[in-house]
This record gives sequence, C-alpha cells and structure tokens, in this order.
Amino acid sequence: MIRFASSGGVSTAIFTESEGSVLASLAIQVAELIQEAPASDPALGRLLPHAYPDDPVAQEEFRRLTGDDLTARKAANAKVIADALAPGHWPREVVLELAESVRWLRALTDIRLVLADRLDVDDEGLPAADADEGMLAVYDWLGGVQDSLVQALDGDGT
Amino acid sequence: LWKAGIVPQTDERTDSHTESRLDHPWVAIVWNDPVNLMSYVAWVFRTYFGFSREEAQRRMLLVHNEGRAVVASGPREAMERHVEAMHEFGLWATVSKE
Repeated sequence: MIRFASSGGVSTAIFTESEGSVLASLAIQVAELIQEAPASDPALGRLLPHAYPDDPVAQEEFRRLTGDDLTARKAANAKVIADALAPGHWPREVVLELAESVRWLRALTDIRLVLADRLDVDDEGLPAADADEGMLAVYDWLGGVQDSLVQALDGDGT
Repeated sequence: LWKAGIVPQTDERTDSHTESRLDHPWVAIVWNDPVNLMSYVAWVFRTYFGFSREEAQRRMLLVHNEGRAVVASGPREAMERHVEAMHEFGLWATVSKE
C-alpha cells in the first residue's frame, strides 16, 4: 500500500516496480485518450464535462474557449506521473514538490474517472457485476493512493 | 462522493439555505459524482477557493448529501473560470444563472 508523507510542502512515497509500472502505464494511456479519443467516447464526457448542460450554444462557446487548454493541461498532468514512474531503478522514492502533488492529484482523478467509465461505475459508486476484477482492484488502489496524498497534504497544512 | 475504503455516510446534517445569494446573477455549482473522494473535494474547495477547513468540509458534504453545492457567485466570466478550474481538478461543475 502506497503511503504518502508530507513535510514542508514536499510529499514522498515509495513505489515498487509493479505499482509504479501499472500507474505509469495508466497515466500514458489517459494522456493519449484525452488527446486522441473520438468525441463519442463517454470517458471524455467526464474528463471535459459540459459547463452548460442545458444551453448548447453557451456550451459550444465554453468548449471552444477552454477545450484545447484543458486537454493540453490534463495530458501534461498525466505525463508528470508517467515521467516520475518511468522505467528505471525500483523500488523508487517519488519526491513531489507541492505543485507536482497538485498535478498528481488532478491526474489521479482523471485516471480514476476513465477507469470508472470502463468499469461502468453507477451513481452509487458500484461497478458493473461483470466488471474486470483486476481493473477494479487497480481502481480501488488508486483511490487509496490519492486519499493518502490528500491526507498527507492536509496534515502538512498545505 | 466516495470516502476511500468506506461506504459514504448519509446522515450528516447540513444547511443548504445559505447557499443562494441574490446579489450576483451567476453561480458555479459542483455536482455529486460517484468517483471523486470526499477528502479530495474538501481539499480542492479549501485550496482553490480559500475556504476554511470547516467551510470546505461543509460544502463538500452539501455536494455529497444534497447532490450539489454552489461554490461561487459573481460575474459570468469569473464563474466560467472557476468551472474550468474545477474541470481541471476532475470535478463535475456547471455555470448557471441564479
């Protein structure tokens, strides 16, 4: 289990090779999905939700003004995780400045949003009965990783 | 919202009546979703909007229990900036006229 610790705005955690390579792979996949998935992919609807669900004209304008920037920033956030967990020596201590921790939290959210879509998580937070057990385990694990980083930052007063 | 590893509680008492402000016509609203962590949403509210821990927790619980919470009110352009920021955090947020 990944446990982040934060002090003076710097957060650290140790990743094993299996943990790090799974998360890096997901981060790369989500960065690609954000930039390349067809507009019909429902996961995109969660990554870039409608600001004006009842006003198509205002929504179109909002997407035109913000869509490209948001897409680029989300892909860049995911890449921060992928870079920190790139192939190399394991186990590895990941050391995150506060700004990097924020990007990790954002990217972890995006990864979990995509996994939730693929697992068909319903409004109660429950996955489809036939959901892939391995993917479900990763989804739950990532929730724990994210919660650990939030708790560490909260406890650090940042 | 989802508390990591724990089934969400539904009995927290909150007051939604103070959320509407009539002096600004536009509002930014954050909606409940089954993916985002309760701890993360409270942290986003505290660090992005500058709410106290107590206020951030209160608005997070409004989202969780009532399904939505107004997180800002003011000019339309400012609300759109907030909603864009919420979308980068992965939260489900919308702009509407109060």
